[in-house]
Amino acid sequence: MKRLAAAAVLLSLAAVTACSSGSTTGDKSAGGGGGLFTTIDVNRPGIDPNAPANPYNPKGNSFLGYNAMKLAWIKNHMTDPNQFYPGIAESWEIAPDNSSITVKLQPDNKWSDGKPVTAEDVRLSIGIAYTQGSTAFAITPGAAGAAADVQVVDDKTVKVTQDMTNPSAKFARGVLDTYVAPAHVWGSVLPADFWDKLKASRGTGADAEKAREEITALGQKIIAFAPPKDVSAGPFVLQRANPGEALLVKNKNFYNAANVAPDQVKFLNYTGNEQIWNYLISGKLDHAGFTAAPPDVMNKIKQASGANIIKGYSPVAVGLAFNQSKKPYDNVHVRRGLAYLIDREQVVKVASPEGGTPAVTTSGIHQKPAQEWLGAELGALEPYKHDVAKAEEEFKAAGLQKKDGKWTLADGTPWKLTMHAPSGFSDWISAQENIKGQLTENGVDAEVVTVADYPLYLEEIAAGKYDAGFWLIALGPAPYDIYQRLYGASNGWTNVAGKIQHAAPGKGGNWMGGAEEIDVEGVGKVNPGELTGKLNAADAEAAKPIMLQLAKTANRDLPVIQLWDYVNTQFTNTGRFTGWPEQDSDLLRLPAGVWIQLGMVKKTS
Amino acid sequence: MTVIARRLAGHLARGIAMVLVVATISFFIIRNIPGDPIAARYQKLLEQGMSPEAAERATAVMYGFLPSGTLGEQYADYMTGLFRFDLGVSVTNPGTPVTAVLGEAAKWTVLPVLAGTLLSFLVGVIMGVYAAVKRSGVLGDLLAISGSLLHGVPQYVLALLMGAIFTTLIPILPQGGTADILFEPGFNAGYIGSLIEHATLPVVTYALASYGGWILAMKSSVVTVLGDDFILAAELRGMKRSIIFRYVARNAILPLFTILALSLGLLFGGAIFIEKIFNYPGLGFLLIESVVNRDYALMGGAFLLITAAIVVANILADLFYTVIDPRVRSGEEAAT
Repeated sequence: MKRLAAAAVLLSLAAVTACSSGSTTGDKSAGGGGGLFTTIDVNRPGIDPNAPANPYNPKGNSFLGYNAMKLAWIKNHMTDPNQFYPGIAESWEIAPDNSSITVKLQPDNKWSDGKPVTAEDVRLSIGIAYTQGSTAFAITPGAAGAAADVQVVDDKTVKVTQDMTNPSAKFARGVLDTYVAPAHVWGSVLPADFWDKLKASRGTGADAEKAREEITALGQKIIAFAPPKDVSAGPFVLQRANPGEALLVKNKNFYNAANVAPDQVKFLNYTGNEQIWNYLISGKLDHAGFTAAPPDVMNKIKQASGANIIKGYSPVAVGLAFNQSKKPYDNVHVRRGLAYLIDREQVVKVASPEGGTPAVTTSGIHQKPAQEWLGAELGALEPYKHDVAKAEEEFKAAGLQKKDGKWTLADGTPWKLTMHAPSGFSDWISAQENIKGQLTENGVDAEVVTVADYPLYLEEIAAGKYDAGFWLIALGPAPYDIYQRLYGASNGWTNVAGKIQHAAPGKGGNWMGGAEEIDVEGVGKVNPGELTGKLNAADAEAAKPIMLQLAKTANRDLPVIQLWDYVNTQFTNTGRFTGWPEQDSDLLRLPAGVWIQLGMVKKTS
Repeated sequence: MTVIARRLAGHLARGIAMVLVVATISFFIIRNIPGDPIAARYQKLLEQGMSPEAAERATAVMYGFLPSGTLGEQYADYMTGLFRFDLGVSVTNPGTPVTAVLGEAAKWTVLPVLAGTLLSFLVGVIMGVYAAVKRSGVLGDLLAISGSLLHGVPQYVLALLMGAIFTTLIPILPQGGTADILFEPGFNAGYIGSLIEHATLPVVTYALASYGGWILAMKSSVVTVLGDDFILAAELRGMKRSIIFRYVARNAILPLFTILALSLGLLFGGAIFIEKIFNYPGLGFLLIESVVNRDYALMGGAFLLITAAIVVANILADLFYTVIDPRVRSGEEAAT
């Protein structure tokens, strides 16, 4: 009996060993050799095998650019929000006054089940977009840049008209940035009277309100919708998923299938940046999007075989934002003094040497598009170069006093700048620690307080609990997006149906505590929220003088000190695939699936 | 009514009351956790370079899945749902019932933790007996020291160490996930091998982290029993050593069975750090994510599942003890 048990144990061990060795070789060769593309979706940690292949579901097993397609793909242009690469649409024509866009679909594109992609698919997808709170297909009365009509011109052409009562320069972008779902699979998600309901929702009164509620409620049904199987018009289609990985295989019906290199795509999940770093260091990934990494990790990643790092423009900057409802930050001289005291070069060197470049000044615009928008005027802005003497002048102008080498408030009470940062944001925390060191060295008492996590940080900063904290600004390329982070809700301005309103400092979401009107040297009295609102409908030429006024306002008034401008860092590997976008390419904000579907990525020979 | 049936009825009543109390407490604690998860998600997407409108679209849908109504109404809904085993809908997995999300994650926690617990129990008990019998020898000392060391090292340190060794320095084991997706799921050697390969690090780490406790407890228990009069009497009667060993083992292992039954209650929540570090998508990982995302329904469901498992394990431990220890049973019968 004992021998039998021993034999059974040995056999089990042998079986396990055999199984394990099978997993490391064996079937893996069936992955298509060099045809397997391994990647990670940095915007979405965790893969849920039970989630539907539904692009509207945040956890859905639809991967943008791979098996989830949009009408077109937005280029990472410095200033023009209406530049695209083809997707489901082959071409588009935007009316000169932005009042309509006519979209022509790829003539030969088919869904993975063999059915052609038609204008009806697009119409249904636009209907779905209305339920999801999409910008061009918003049902909020008076929303800027909302569509007024959707017209199927022919089997491959759709025309969408903008409601010109509150137009937006981003209308075409809103239309082309629409997911397209197959009507023969998704048709049932919208009720037969949906378009009548939509018409009713545009009115006023109780009926319109009810129609809007019904459309919004449909959104939840659509998010939960689970097609029996993935039907894709993209270069790949989902085969299966488990909690750690998802496998997609090539869609032979895709219009550009002949130029799609990988046979299979494997998505890996992750629970934290550390895993992405490990994958990159071991050369496992063919592509990963932007992931912050400390310098030592970045060096290891660079040393991995075939590692290829592509950098480009990322329309985000980070600033040290002040709560002007608190003293002494209500005094512009204090803010300017701090701007002179902080050596941004040093901060970035410590905190984000790979992920950012020190801001050339505070303009509210990322330095790359700032050159386009402001031209020579950019050089005329005060650069706030590190200058202790100027800082002292500003502090004195603010009435602060220096006692025993330490700055105090005007009445002699101690002054301490408390900066908050969310736990886990290592670059922000390092930056604040560095700033603290610099300030302390020059007589400004400072401290860094780490907040439990990002949700709490955002709630508390919005509640006006902090003196100062880091805040993302300069979101481009649309001019309105750039300035709404500075002169939008966080500074008290709201845009309701095209009407700009301002809440008093510390009230109505105005946690930055900015005044409604600011007297700016060389510009005069400015209502920055009003100006920002105008950017919504302005074309590039009309936007330029407004951008200049706002840049001067931000530069002189300093609601934030712009610290560094983000760099879009994409990690690729040339070991298995080549043809990656060039440095500074306008493709860098798009998923690698778009690079593949455009036929750029090739197998390494 | 038998003693066991009576005990079971009493335990069940207390257990249900306990679960309801914990559900109520955790409901109010969870609902009062500060933080704006949707704003956080939006800002995070912006930082990663997503356009504001795309980030808005990606997060706007989550609002529809947030609980609505007053706290009292939410509580009433929650408790009513609880009696129908409806724990609500997750915000981060919109459209998917919390029970389904928990069910999916639970299987990836229960199997590795169960395997790790049983492995560490088996090895720990055997080594514990050996360490007690040979307690004056070098090997006995070494075993006891190994137990103390491993018992003292926090689980997450051990996990980081194992991960660094076997996925980076000597990269022979996978860095995460449950199985290689290239294998067709099913009863085939490749898939099963891949499952085992991916579970190796979590299981071994869990086993190593628990082993110290078992060896120390078993050693202590054996040493106590070895000093009992009945062992001395058996030795004086000239009984065979194998029979004496059986007496020792049976008596010494009793308290460990209770601990084992209780630790089985932690199956659902006992590997939070290990899962997070090894990117193993079980309940522990889900719990962390639900807290970060302020997914109230999911958090509540996970806490409830962990509570229920511990209550059930307590009941089973108690009943099990009644069965395996005649002294407890006879004591109960005498009392009735």
